[in-house]
Amino acid sequence: MLTPATAETVLRRARQGGADFAELYLERWRRRTLRTIDGEVEDAVSAIEQGAGLRLFFGTDVVYAYTNDLSDSALGELTDTLVRLRGSGDGSGNGSVDARGAGGLDLRRQSARGLHAPSVAFEQQPKRWRLERLRELDAGARIDPAVKQVEGRLLEWEQDVVVVNSEGDWVEDRRVRTRCAASVIASDADQTQTAFVGPGLSVGLEFFDRYPAATIGATAAQRALTNLRAKPAPAGTMPVVIGSGFGGVIFHEALGHLVETTMVARRASVLSDKLGERIASNVVSYVDDGTTPNGWGSSEYDDEGMPTQRTVLIDKGVLTSYMVDRWGALKTGYARTGSGRRENYTYAPTSRMRNTFILPGEVADPQELFQGIGFGLYAKAMGGGQVKPGSGEYNFAVTEGYIIRDGELAEPVRSALLVGKGPDTIQKVDAVAGDLATEPGMCGSMSGSVPVEVGQPHLRVSELVVGGEA
Amino acid sequence: MTFETAKDFLLRRARERGVEAEVLGTSERELTLSADGGRVEEITHARRGGVGVRVVDDGRVGYASSEALDATSLEWVLDEAIENAGLQPAGEAALVSGRPLGRHDLLGEGLSAEIEAKSQAIVSLENSLRDDSRVDAVFVARYSESESEAVLGSTTGADGGYRNGYGYLMAMPVMKQGDSIKQGADFDIAKEFHELDPTRTSQSILDRVGRHLGATPLATGRYRAVFEPEVTTVIVQLLLMSLSGKAVAEGKSRLAGRLGERIASELLGLVDDPTLERGLASRPFDVEGTPAQRTELIERGVLRSFLHNSDTARRTGQANTGNASRSYASTLGVSGSNVLIEAGAGTALADGLIVTDLMGVHAGANPISGDVSVQGLGLRVEGGEGRPVENFAVSFNLFRLLEQIEAVGTDLVWRPGLGGSIIGARSLQLDALSFAGA
Repeated sequence: MLTPATAETVLRRARQGGADFAELYLERWRRRTLRTIDGEVEDAVSAIEQGAGLRLFFGTDVVYAYTNDLSDSALGELTDTLVRLRGSGDGSGNGSVDARGAGGLDLRRQSARGLHAPSVAFEQQPKRWRLERLRELDAGARIDPAVKQVEGRLLEWEQDVVVVNSEGDWVEDRRVRTRCAASVIASDADQTQTAFVGPGLSVGLEFFDRYPAATIGATAAQRALTNLRAKPAPAGTMPVVIGSGFGGVIFHEALGHLVETTMVARRASVLSDKLGERIASNVVSYVDDGTTPNGWGSSEYDDEGMPTQRTVLIDKGVLTSYMVDRWGALKTGYARTGSGRRENYTYAPTSRMRNTFILPGEVADPQELFQGIGFGLYAKAMGGGQVKPGSGEYNFAVTEGYIIRDGELAEPVRSALLVGKGPDTIQKVDAVAGDLATEPGMCGSMSGSVPVEVGQPHLRVSELVVGGEA
Repeated sequence: MTFETAKDFLLRRARERGVEAEVLGTSERELTLSADGGRVEEITHARRGGVGVRVVDDGRVGYASSEALDATSLEWVLDEAIENAGLQPAGEAALVSGRPLGRHDLLGEGLSAEIEAKSQAIVSLENSLRDDSRVDAVFVARYSESESEAVLGSTTGADGGYRNGYGYLMAMPVMKQGDSIKQGADFDIAKEFHELDPTRTSQSILDRVGRHLGATPLATGRYRAVFEPEVTTVIVQLLLMSLSGKAVAEGKSRLAGRLGERIASELLGLVDDPTLERGLASRPFDVEGTPAQRTELIERGVLRSFLHNSDTARRTGQANTGNASRSYASTLGVSGSNVLIEAGAGTALADGLIVTDLMGVHAGANPISGDVSVQGLGLRVEGGEGRPVENFAVSFNLFRLLEQIEAVGTDLVWRPGLGGSIIGARSLQLDALSFAGA
């Protein structure tokens, strides 16, 4: 995709133009999407995406440009435009030649070792085989006449990345991801309910050995049917047991985003300047791990070319680290954590989550969490929500919920809404089970939409505001 | 390869493999400069483009695209498109019969000014906003330009290309007077950089936002109302969703089946005109190679046509209006080009409400039913004098509103719409609307 000579030319021109740091990012994607409705193909789309992004630092000011014309002349023009604009728009004297940038680069080449490599490559099966899987998903969902529509979706992504910078890094990474999702619409005489289930991993077509398509369809259908017979949720403040896996979305949104340096460095987060302080209940340890084998949010390197790592954010209630990208490191002085990510070449990277989860706790059996609750809510599955990023105020929809009565699981309820503030809620977690599970999602933020896992074991929040149906 | 050679390569290979194919190459160049504190703070300089293939094999359609133009990538694209078509259930799709369409430059040198001049323009806009003592902050001050090129070819004979683009100045200040704080945005859009004037834009933004300072709650009631052109834009955008042939084909348009009937006041005329001289969304042909034509959508209140591509025309049994749209990476859709409300005799409001802003229309409108309930800002006019009012909600049904038009303005404002369309909107005067205020 890139020759050392081209990279050197671009980086040198940027440094000579006064940039303190220059980074060239190149990538090439192959993506396939297959979507069926009721077992018939609705869309089958394939695409190659390819482009380059150039990021220059002038102090802590950042400028970014991108192109998918990868010729030497186009990359040169991109560099010159950025350098020129800094000079003309600014007037503060940037643009002086820095001698360190003129001497040529001794590029250190690092490449992916295949830690998350697929065992069954996409080429090994024809498209028909994929359609058969989605038809299995469809058949798996037909467990009741109330199931009216089944949508199946299969995503295959292959991404090759090169990051080269003026510090001499030349990093190559390859990321392969597969995700299969079912959306089910179920209705009876009174109402319509929908449900979504969509596992994803950094794997190839062996995905279906881990997640049989029929099971994905059946799980979604069961959830839609449960909601069909559920009664509206009660409103009030009560103990809530949040389910494992996607339940972790609350802490992703209302806690994780607050400890990204993108927020912290601008002092836009209530958790700025809280390192070393107790911010959560002592049964809570929170980790962001870019190295989980075959994790949906894993990669060997981040999009700034740094090896990913396992970052402990909260250790037994104490805030131990932020998620730090290059710009954040410059602004805050904290060491980078391999957290610089972007959707694609059209975005400059920012600090982002990878696979983020609460560590297993000491309660052996999740059932024990229900004990002692006179009346509460079991939020088994969570859906989307909204968060105010500064304060961590959130509301999230419960997509599968049950009443807890006298320590026992009781009837299903629908339309429950969990309302709170992330930093408060994390202090009210009073028990964590040992059954950690993670689920994939797409996280949207300043640098676009990136694959992440959210996760947690079953855990109990001593009191939480539940919004029901008015 | 260039777009032209990539297109020729793909068409030759498609013929060799015995499938019909249409190749669309599009590229966009974008430059955005944002000013903050008297200097250019954020820069986006971008080029993005690629080729997309639409293959028709035995009545079934398959798509694939690539941003890389080497032979290996293009072979992959063709393989994938053919294989994708093979997965579809049996169909009746066909490519339109094509013809040579020529090469057209609709932009010329309009955006070729030096980058320094553009930086200066945006810094000057921001400065002149801050010079007004009522301006508390400037959230956004932006110059942006985009230039697009399209190349089209098909195995059925279409062959052509064109280039177009525009630039705009935009700002969002926060203004303060006593306890009253108002935030608003506005912009000026033009085909040539030299037509943009930061002083004029700044003055018009200050006027538009500043007139709301000191606003008081509106008393609930029914008022005769004038929607300013900026508000009308939103109404036209909503109406276009029901005028889309795709919505008709999918059973999602309330206007389906009403061709030839009165659907609006006879004062209303609406046209889609891609042939408009110097139009911001003008084009010589659509993405299927159907030559551009002027289409009367609503003529004196009577529904004359929907917007169609070849597929929606076939499915509804109506005429293709040459409104096919897609990018290289997307599938075939429908969109307007220059969509224009025809000039009326002018509005005159002695007593009523001028609605200047509607907020949250995307969330507060149901494009299928036409029911809209949104928050607004406006000017209460009594005895010919206006004073600012706020905190009111306006609820209406789009299709009923069309019948309530009692005057159309002579003023004209162009604003970008969805799918690359540009909407030319005018003031609309309505006999009565319900407003919920204090």
